[in-house]
Amino acid sequence: MNCEHSRNQLVDLLGNQLAEAERITLEVHLAQCPDCREELAATRRLWQAMGRMPVPEPTEKMRVRFYAMVETYKDAEAAKRRRSLKSVFRRIRRALTPQLALRLAYSLLLVGAGLAGGYWLSARNAPAVAYERQIDALSTQVQEMHQTVLLSLLENPSASERLRAIGYTREIGQVDRKVTEALLSTLNNDPNVNVRLVTLEALAQLADDPKVREGLVQSITQQDSPLVQAALADVMVKLQEKRSVRPLKQLLHQENVDDLVKTKIKESIKALS
Amino acid sequence: MTQVRDGNLEKMGLLFERYHRPLFGFLYHMTGQADASEDLVQNVFYRMLKYRHTFTGEGEFRTWMYHLARNVLADHVRKAKPSARHYDLADFVDRIGGGAPADERMQKEQELASLHDALRKLSPDHREILILSRFQELKYEEIARILNLTEGAVKVRVHRAMNELKTLFLKRQ
Repeated sequence: MNCEHSRNQLVDLLGNQLAEAERITLEVHLAQCPDCREELAATRRLWQAMGRMPVPEPTEKMRVRFYAMVETYKDAEAAKRRRSLKSVFRRIRRALTPQLALRLAYSLLLVGAGLAGGYWLSARNAPAVAYERQIDALSTQVQEMHQTVLLSLLENPSASERLRAIGYTREIGQVDRKVTEALLSTLNNDPNVNVRLVTLEALAQLADDPKVREGLVQSITQQDSPLVQAALADVMVKLQEKRSVRPLKQLLHQENVDDLVKTKIKESIKALS
Repeated sequence: MTQVRDGNLEKMGLLFERYHRPLFGFLYHMTGQADASEDLVQNVFYRMLKYRHTFTGEGEFRTWMYHLARNVLADHVRKAKPSARHYDLADFVDRIGGGAPADERMQKEQELASLHDALRKLSPDHREILILSRFQELKYEEIARILNLTEGAVKVRVHRAMNELKTLFLKRQ
C-alpha cells in the first residue's frame, strides 16, 4: 500500500466508513509509516474539532409551531374537501346561464306535458273501450228487436204493415236464417203483388247467401203474377244465375203466362246462356 | 411515513420527535443561522405533508427527508441575500462555558472560530458533504442516494472537501 492511497482513506477511517479488511490493511500501513501517522493525527485533530462544533438547541417554540402547523393543515384539508363539494355546486350554478336554464326548463316542460298527455290518453282509452262494448251490446239488442218486429209484422193482415216489415230488412245488418226463410215464404205465398215485389227486391240484396239464391230460383215456377215473373227474370239476369234457365223455360211452356212476360223471359234466357 | 401518506396525520408527530434534531443540525450547519434554521425545519415538515403522496415507501424516509431539506435550502439560499452574519459567536461561548482554564478556553474558542470560518469558505458542495458525513454521521451509501451520486464519487468528494477544509483551517491558525 502506498502513502497516497492510505492518506485518501484517513477520513474514511475516522468516519468509520471502511470495511473491516480495508481498515486492517490501512492500520498495518500506518504502523509502518510515521509520515502517514502524522497526517492521521492532523486530520483527526480537525475531525474532532468539527465534532466539537456546537449546534444550539432548537427552541421549544419550534415544536409548538410544528404541532400548530399540523393542526392547521388538517383543518385546511377538511375545509378543502368541503369546498370541493361546494365548488361542484357552484360550477353547476355557473354553467346554468339564463338561456340554458330557460332551455332546460322548456325541455322539462315538454317532457312533463308528454307524460301528462300520455297518462290522460290512456286514462281516456279505458272508458272508450267500455263505451264501445256498451254500444255494440245496444246495437245487437236493437237488431234483435228489429228482427222480432219484422217477423211479427210479416204475419200482419195489413199489406202496408207487411211492407213496413220488409223495409226493416235494410236496417238489420246481419240477416239470419229465420228472416230469410220468412222472406222467401212471403215471396211465394203473400197474396199482395206489391208485397211480393218488395220482398223480391229485398231478397235480391241478400243474394250473396246461397240459400237465398236457391229460394229465388225455386220461386220462379211458383209465381203467377206477370209483374213478379218479369221482375224475377230481371233479378236472375242481374245475378247471372244459370240454374234459373230451366225453371224459366218451364214458364214458357205454361199457358197462363202473359205474352209480354214470355218475350221478357226469352230475352233473359238469351242473356243467361 | 407510509401511514402519514395514507391520511394518518397524527403520525407526523412521531416523525417530528425522531428527526427534528438532526434536521435542524443539518440546516444550522448549512446556513449558520439558528432562527432561520427553525423556520426551514418547519418548512421541511410542511412539505412532507404537502407532498406526502410522492413518498413511495421504497427508499428510506431519511433519504426522502434530506431530499426535501435540500430543496427547501436551495429555495432559501436563492431568496436570501448573501448574509454577512454566519455562526453566532455567542453560541460558541455559551457552549464551551466556564470551568476550563482561561488560556485553554481561549485556544479552543480560537480553534472553533477558525474552523467555522473555514467551513464558511468551503464551496457549498464540499460543505454539504462534510456536514452529511461528519455531523449527520451518514454512511457513504446513504449520502450517495441523497445526492444522486455513486458511492465512489461521494468518497472522492469527501476527501477533497476535507483537504480543502484543512488548508483553509491551517491558513487561519
